[in-house]
Amino acid sequence: MTPSKNKGLPRSLWTALFHPWVWRMAWRDSRSQRLRLVIFSLAIVSGIAALTAIHSLKASVERGIASEAKALLGSDLRISSRREIREEDIGKLSGMASRISREVSFPSMMRFLPDGGARLMQVRGIGGEYPFYGGVETRPAEAWVKMREEGGVLVEPAILDQFSAKVGDEVQLGGIQLKILGVIDKPAPRGNRFSGFAPEAYVRLADIERSGLLGKNSMAAHQVHLEIQDGPTSDALKDSVREDFKETSWRLETPEDRRENLGDALDNFQKFLGLIALASLALGAIGVAGAVHAHVTRRIQTIAILRCLGCPGHLAFGIYFAQAMALGLLGALLGAGLGIAMQMGLLMVLGDELPISVSPSPEWKIAAQTMAMGFAVCCGFALLPLMKIREISPAVTLRSGACLKGGGLRALPIYGLLAGLLVMVAYANDPNWKRALALVGGMALAFLALVAVARGLMAVTRRVVRLGWPYLIRQGVSNLHRPGNQTLLFLLSLGLGTFLLVTILSAGKLLNDRLSIQQSEDSPNLYLIDVQPDQVAGVEAVLDAGGLPVLESTPMVTMRIQSIRGVAVGDLKDVPRWVGRREFRSTYRDKLNFTEELVAGEFATGRADPGGVVPLSLEEKIARDMKVGIGDEVTMDVQGIPIRTRVTSIRRVDWSRFNLNFFMVFPPGVLEDAPGFNVVTTRTPTPEASGELQRELATRFANVTAIDLTQILEAVRDILGKISTVITVLAGFTVLAGLPILIGTLLNGRDVRLKESVLLRTLGASAKQVRIILVIEYAALGILSALTGVLLAVAANAALATFVFKASPWPDAALLLAAFGTVTMIAVLGGLALSRGVCHHPPLEILRGGS
Amino acid sequence: MSSPSTASLESTPGDVKRPLLKVTGLRKTHQTAGGDLTVLKEVSLGLDAGDTLAIIGPSGSGKTTLLGLCAGLDDASAGSVELDGLAIESLDQDARAALRNRLVGFVFQSFQLIPTLTAMENVLVPLELRGESGRQAEAEKLLTEVGLGDRLDHYPLQLSGGEQQRVALARAFIHRPKILFADEPTGNLDSGTSGPIVDMLFRLNREAGTALVLVTHDPALAAKARRVVTMSGGTIVSEEENDAL
Repeated sequence: MTPSKNKGLPRSLWTALFHPWVWRMAWRDSRSQRLRLVIFSLAIVSGIAALTAIHSLKASVERGIASEAKALLGSDLRISSRREIREEDIGKLSGMASRISREVSFPSMMRFLPDGGARLMQVRGIGGEYPFYGGVETRPAEAWVKMREEGGVLVEPAILDQFSAKVGDEVQLGGIQLKILGVIDKPAPRGNRFSGFAPEAYVRLADIERSGLLGKNSMAAHQVHLEIQDGPTSDALKDSVREDFKETSWRLETPEDRRENLGDALDNFQKFLGLIALASLALGAIGVAGAVHAHVTRRIQTIAILRCLGCPGHLAFGIYFAQAMALGLLGALLGAGLGIAMQMGLLMVLGDELPISVSPSPEWKIAAQTMAMGFAVCCGFALLPLMKIREISPAVTLRSGACLKGGGLRALPIYGLLAGLLVMVAYANDPNWKRALALVGGMALAFLALVAVARGLMAVTRRVVRLGWPYLIRQGVSNLHRPGNQTLLFLLSLGLGTFLLVTILSAGKLLNDRLSIQQSEDSPNLYLIDVQPDQVAGVEAVLDAGGLPVLESTPMVTMRIQSIRGVAVGDLKDVPRWVGRREFRSTYRDKLNFTEELVAGEFATGRADPGGVVPLSLEEKIARDMKVGIGDEVTMDVQGIPIRTRVTSIRRVDWSRFNLNFFMVFPPGVLEDAPGFNVVTTRTPTPEASGELQRELATRFANVTAIDLTQILEAVRDILGKISTVITVLAGFTVLAGLPILIGTLLNGRDVRLKESVLLRTLGASAKQVRIILVIEYAALGILSALTGVLLAVAANAALATFVFKASPWPDAALLLAAFGTVTMIAVLGGLALSRGVCHHPPLEILRGGS
Repeated sequence: MSSPSTASLESTPGDVKRPLLKVTGLRKTHQTAGGDLTVLKEVSLGLDAGDTLAIIGPSGSGKTTLLGLCAGLDDASAGSVELDGLAIESLDQDARAALRNRLVGFVFQSFQLIPTLTAMENVLVPLELRGESGRQAEAEKLLTEVGLGDRLDHYPLQLSGGEQQRVALARAFIHRPKILFADEPTGNLDSGTSGPIVDMLFRLNREAGTALVLVTHDPALAAKARRVVTMSGGTIVSEEENDAL
């Protein structure tokens, strides 16, 4: 005979999870713990919120880009070239399009008249009716049409404020004066990356030609915009142009290309920020596991009673799994809600800054996906402690003091499941298996390191404590290994939190350091470019007169690579295409400068042999990209004239010094007669001196462009500041994820230590003695958690610095000390708060079994 | 008096009546750092339906261990326990739980009520575990019988020790078990409170025809059982029958 089974209750875990009794019991069981469980569910809120916000933002912007791709480009095809596009080519292109428009853009000094100062502007000379899609918005509204028809200039609103100018005033641009017609509120689509560093000014193309600046500006970009109405698609037109103008190195861009480019940029943004959000979610999930462990520990007796009364293991498991599911669902709902609010808020605040209009509406699908991911991760991590429920013996009802047992090898499949889950979530954030595995592997290593430290600490304290030690110290230290200790949980939650936080902050600092500019007394801060050979003496005289040093005065000649080792560069399969298309600005000199270091070969110090093969010095990275080494022959196309060179030296260049550096350096005696220009650098002591010099140069040498590094740095710092803000906000989110975990850990500790401390009080211990015992325990836990977290972060920082940022592997000692001190202090304060609770509880209540 | 440890098996050759509880050669050994520790040695006993048995003996004599093994709460190192003809050691944990739910009631020294459930909910748990619902009236009747008709919605913490034990009694009888295991049911109660509890325990036992296995230190309580076995050092050292009962 076999025992009859319970007929009315589900026989498997799966059916149990859908049975009302299980949920009713889960609800009843939560009665005394609801607030605490809600706090625990908050642990995953920040991770899910960040993931939802980041992915939703990306989806919204992508949708906006998709619907406005043509408006983002302004045409069906954009052709860009560093060289002037020939008239005959323009004529041919006109035949391929319904409308065509030309544009020339370049940085140039603009002087505000009568004497309002000068500023580097990105001048955009537009001919025709570009943009064909999307519009340009100006104040007054008719200013754009007026500029195209009558001539004049349109500038960004901030420029008028900066120079106290107004509509109707005049500016000097090269050799002509133009009236300010209005300000640009929504600019024409941009193509030139440099424009990000200088405010834009719009003029007619005809006015550019009159200004005399064209042909003398080495940084000019020439563009042709094409519109097709009933003809081929943009891609087909692009293919035709590529076919018909094979010999050119034009860059062609269709609305689809632009959409993809912007999509790639968004992808990178989302991947990087998503990493931090993932770390936050993983931390939260570990917190949930800890919370569920503590909760189940408190329920050992209840589970044993249920087992005694005939509750099968899967039902007992189901009750607490149902609670974990509810916990996960609540956290996921709150997280997704907060994420949607963040996304909508950001779109409302930043909407005007975006080049496209994005309606701030929730991305429900993304929110649902992220919720599902967060929910799965939360439930998955909760399985670790829940699996131990099946190990609770009903015999616990007969003897008190049981601990939660189990785990070990039997938990291996769960760890495998969790690793798989995290890899899938990481893959959803960044669809690259290698990176997803590396990320989860890194987190697993950190986890294992913390477990090892915790186990080591318990083993050490078990052995070192001696009866001869003062009682309070002995008790405090012994608490680290005794049954019911929180060493593992504390180290995992606080240690992992410290590790993630310090790593994120260190990575932010590495990024800032990488992008910060090494400025020293002999570094230039003002570049004067496009100085014609006959203007060099005059420009140097202006500097002299102003008491400013001429730090460098270097000739510069533009050229392309024609062939490498006798093979046309376009035919070389292993050389990137951009190498063949790039226009190199090279110089000639007979010595290395102080920012260079010879790494191979011999630098040519004499004049080149007329008619012979020219010795060429390459920068090491470009040599690597070109796949050339010492002795390889490279033929350069110097504005139509082939020059045979042989690589005789390879240099390492310190680009961070902002001195004039070049990929290719020729010896004297080759390029002197080639068309080129000079770059002169100086260092101005104050912005006023820089302004004065720029005014003077704009008056006397209108074609000379002064690039003020200080202004560029400001623009870079502005961008970095925004990136830094986003990183800081996300780091803050990690802290937010850590807070409920910390509170949870302390609350668990309170449960564990409350009865013991009350017993000590009953036996005559003073409040101070109880406090000292707890502070010793928590200080030890805090110090170990902080130390392990910081050491792990140092290792991660060193790996990031070495392999990603190529920077010094040594971390910021101040940051480490601050993190160590703060985490230890938080732990000690937590211990003190706990002792406060203990000392304020009536002992009788605790001794009677209340909680 | 029968011989120690084995004499209590009441069956005789040809007797087809099967005992409700049959314990044969039960042994329990714990592995400790200091070596094996045997807390129960070759214990055998039997109990018929409706009968009452008290197990007495000093602390550490193995009484509670024996009770736990009889109810399938723990695994024996050797020997067997048959409950209603079923060998407990052959059942997995869930099958044992199902068997307990069908046949067994419990009363513990420390009451073992679920702290998050009200008195009424605690009493209903054994029925709910069978999937039986809608028997609140029965639970209320039972709670009223034990004097707690006005405390149905109170949580264990809101009840005194005696009241908690009365809830435990109601819970133990709600599903009409064939056997009730009581581990020091009055151990945490004063004499004034324990008297009525004991009376209730035996009354309910009589009315429901439930067999009772009682572990106690209290000779007066033990004397209320028809049979009394005394344990010491993990073995049964004596057994007495109270013929008057």
